[in-house]
Amino acid sequence: MRTGVIGLILPSTFSFLEMMWRICPALAVGCTVVALVPPASPTPLLLAQLAGELGPFPGIINVISGPASLGPVLASQPGVQKVAFCGALEEGRALRRALAGEGAELGLALGAEALLLLSDAADVDSAVEGVVDAAWSDRSPGGLRLLVQESVWEEAMRRLQARMGRLRCGRGLDGAVDMGARGAAARDLAQRYVREAQSQGAQVFQAGDVPLDSPFYPPTLVSDLPPASPCAQAEVPWPVVVASPFRTAKEALALANGTPRGGSASVWSERLGQALELGYGLRVGTVWINSHGLRDPAVPTGGCKESGSSWHGGPDGLYEYLRPSGTPARLSYLSKNLNYDSFGLVVPSALPAGPETGPTPAPPYGLFVGGRFQAPGARSSRPIQDAFGNLHGYVAEGGAKDIRGAVEAAHQAASSWAGQSPGARRALLWALAAALERRESALASRLERQGVELKAAKAEVELSVRRLRAWGAQAQAQGQTLQLGVLAIVCPDEWPLLAFVSLLAPALAHGNTVVMVPSGACPLLALEVCQDMATLFPAGLVNVVTGDRDHLTRCLALHQDIQALWYFGSAQGSQFVEWASAGNLKPVWVSRGLPRAWEQEAEGAGPELGLRAARTKALWLPMGD
Amino acid sequence: MSTHNQGTELDLSWISKIQVNHPAVLRRAEQIQARRPVKKEWQAAWLLKAVTFIDLTTLSGDDTSSNIQRLCYKAKYPIREDLLKALNMHDKGITTAAVCVYPARVCDAVKALKAVGCNIPVASVATGFPAGQTHLKTRLEEIRLAVEDGATEIDVVINRTLVLTGQWEALYGEIRQFRKACGEAHLKTILATGELGSLTNVYKASMIAMMAGSDFIKTSTGKETVNATFPVAIVMLRAIRDFFWKTGNKIGFKPAGGIRSAKDSLAWLSLVKEELGDEWLKPELFRIGASTLLSDIERQIYHHVTGRYAAYHDLPMS
Repeated sequence: MRTGVIGLILPSTFSFLEMMWRICPALAVGCTVVALVPPASPTPLLLAQLAGELGPFPGIINVISGPASLGPVLASQPGVQKVAFCGALEEGRALRRALAGEGAELGLALGAEALLLLSDAADVDSAVEGVVDAAWSDRSPGGLRLLVQESVWEEAMRRLQARMGRLRCGRGLDGAVDMGARGAAARDLAQRYVREAQSQGAQVFQAGDVPLDSPFYPPTLVSDLPPASPCAQAEVPWPVVVASPFRTAKEALALANGTPRGGSASVWSERLGQALELGYGLRVGTVWINSHGLRDPAVPTGGCKESGSSWHGGPDGLYEYLRPSGTPARLSYLSKNLNYDSFGLVVPSALPAGPETGPTPAPPYGLFVGGRFQAPGARSSRPIQDAFGNLHGYVAEGGAKDIRGAVEAAHQAASSWAGQSPGARRALLWALAAALERRESALASRLERQGVELKAAKAEVELSVRRLRAWGAQAQAQGQTLQLGVLAIVCPDEWPLLAFVSLLAPALAHGNTVVMVPSGACPLLALEVCQDMATLFPAGLVNVVTGDRDHLTRCLALHQDIQALWYFGSAQGSQFVEWASAGNLKPVWVSRGLPRAWEQEAEGAGPELGLRAARTKALWLPMGD
Repeated sequence: MSTHNQGTELDLSWISKIQVNHPAVLRRAEQIQARRPVKKEWQAAWLLKAVTFIDLTTLSGDDTSSNIQRLCYKAKYPIREDLLKALNMHDKGITTAAVCVYPARVCDAVKALKAVGCNIPVASVATGFPAGQTHLKTRLEEIRLAVEDGATEIDVVINRTLVLTGQWEALYGEIRQFRKACGEAHLKTILATGELGSLTNVYKASMIAMMAGSDFIKTSTGKETVNATFPVAIVMLRAIRDFFWKTGNKIGFKPAGGIRSAKDSLAWLSLVKEELGDEWLKPELFRIGASTLLSDIERQIYHHVTGRYAAYHDLPMS
């Protein structure tokens, strides 16, 4: 069902097309839109006026003209369910931090830099035309990083420079120009970047028929920029192209993936195998092969890493404005006095209340990291009580170092797991399901000690087994999906077995490796399951870390190398997770402190879980000879 | 023509690694047509310039001396006198670049041009035009006979069989022989791009033709199903530019066949200007092979001068 009221925040250099890409799907699924646009653009106001004349539905598009500082104000209005922002990276980060705790979900599409990879098997002249399309035209969103294979470097540079000489800049409405201007701010940004690049040792080439007066900036080619210089790390502004050489395809991938940005890229090579390998290897949202900038409303366009994770176009674009039927409207749960610097920083130490009585407890569980149980870095454990106040067992006290180890183990297992066929994934999930069935009595008795009736306990185990099988079957049925990478999941306190399994299964089924923090009230059930995973699963596929939940959440939320974080805990924790995700802009899913009906199909095993566990990538390959 | 392209030794490494991406070239072709429109008095000027590039052509089975005579008169006076006077261009010596006919009609053309008092060259097609599927001996003899009759430019067709079977050395050898047979005459090599199969083959054939000593490379005979199109032209112009960068020799370009409207001719001029630059926009380096194009240009100029659209009968036939 539709989400509700969408707030749309546009940057000062937005294009009309970008705005329509967000307004149209929102309206199409039944949402209404409030857009905040910079005061210098009258076009959206005209659009709103036209929309207002539509008679029966005034108010489907509303436009406010105002400064960017109104963004957080708009976003924190009570009725707004989702905020879509497209613009610069730092503004997106600031918005993410400002909106932590508010009711609205945030969709970010940041940065405008693209990448063009020119291999020696390419049609160099056509690739040069691709560079013109990508960087020196009015259609290009931003600057371009150009990677050229060393053996064709001289040729490519010569042709580029000759082509630049033929470009014409002028007023946009003059039909005979190639590119216009984007305002004084964009020009100043480009100028500053080029000056800094020069001072850091780069060669700068500018050409083209460009008017000398203010907002026009000539097409610029920057080469010989040292890779470690600050300019090489920063985003390239329009209309600058920064060119660097590479020796082999592997090096090209390493260079291309070695930035925090992950928007779009094109690969130029006439060798099909090489082109597809590079296309699959690039960590971006869209890859064009032997072309650049192709778009179609039916194809999802978006990014990954710090380019934000919101999509437009295709079914993913529609899902941005939908939420599962039956979910209530999102409300703000902001806690104004949450101290982000101190949340979860120090683990409260708990002294035992009195002498421990009762039967000798079993030896403490370790952390399940890298396929085996290990002792925690802090070398201490915490006691777990059962529902009747007796000691149920001891679990390890995990800390920041353990989280770091777990994430590393998950990354090491990630590439081989992602390469597994859907059938192999199904087989593993079904094997785990069978193992849980065999363990039913042990699991049920532990659940009983937590106060669950025997019949309900058995039902919970059965349902967990069924869900594992269902996700396994789905993994095989839908074939190869694109995984996010390492997924961190903080499980809810309630439903210690069912929720654990319900979250684990879709994450694994879509090719991710996971780091999980199980239920705080009773982590023992999750650790029982780990005993089976130790024998069945490859090492590092699933890692379970127990300990103080707030502290572990803090470590996970601030970790820059986790690709997504799901948090089912307190409202304060949810707010912290949203705030901290601004670090590497990982997509987060938080419970906001509200309970979730894990035993029901819709909330425990619905399609939302699958959608959040995978990402999309578009690959374009024009045909014809 | 003053100096000829002496050609170079055959160097297959110039063509061995070439790949041309068809969809990307198509995209560039569309862009060029859309991006450089020319209006008003500049359009009139460009159209007059386009007239000076035309090789006025008649290549039909029913050519006789009477229509050749008409053609040659039209070549000398391509635009009606009063229209040129209105543009103040009547004394600039605007004629077409050449007249192009079959070998058997070369004598008629030379006579007609002398009668009119025009010294533009007569170009003859040769070597089994249009299909080229005759013995090498007769093809070479055709060239020699046409040159004897007074043709100062020869348009030869290459042997497509050699291109499609990848026999580049043989192709080079044949064109070298055409070059020798031409002697002092100016050699245009028709690649018949519609029959070459792929844009990569077009590039390779262009390079071989230039290496072998062609003064011009020409897209097509005008008799194929697909004649001069922008994608093919872009590839050939890139080959010309690459040859210039490698050797310093400027080779000319001629599209032929299918260019009927004045608007098209302006797009062709833009294309050459964009890809090669202003130095190539002169009759020594650029020609357009056309017959009905001239009438359409004349009508456009009539419209520019008078503000009215002319009927075909308002303007002299060619």
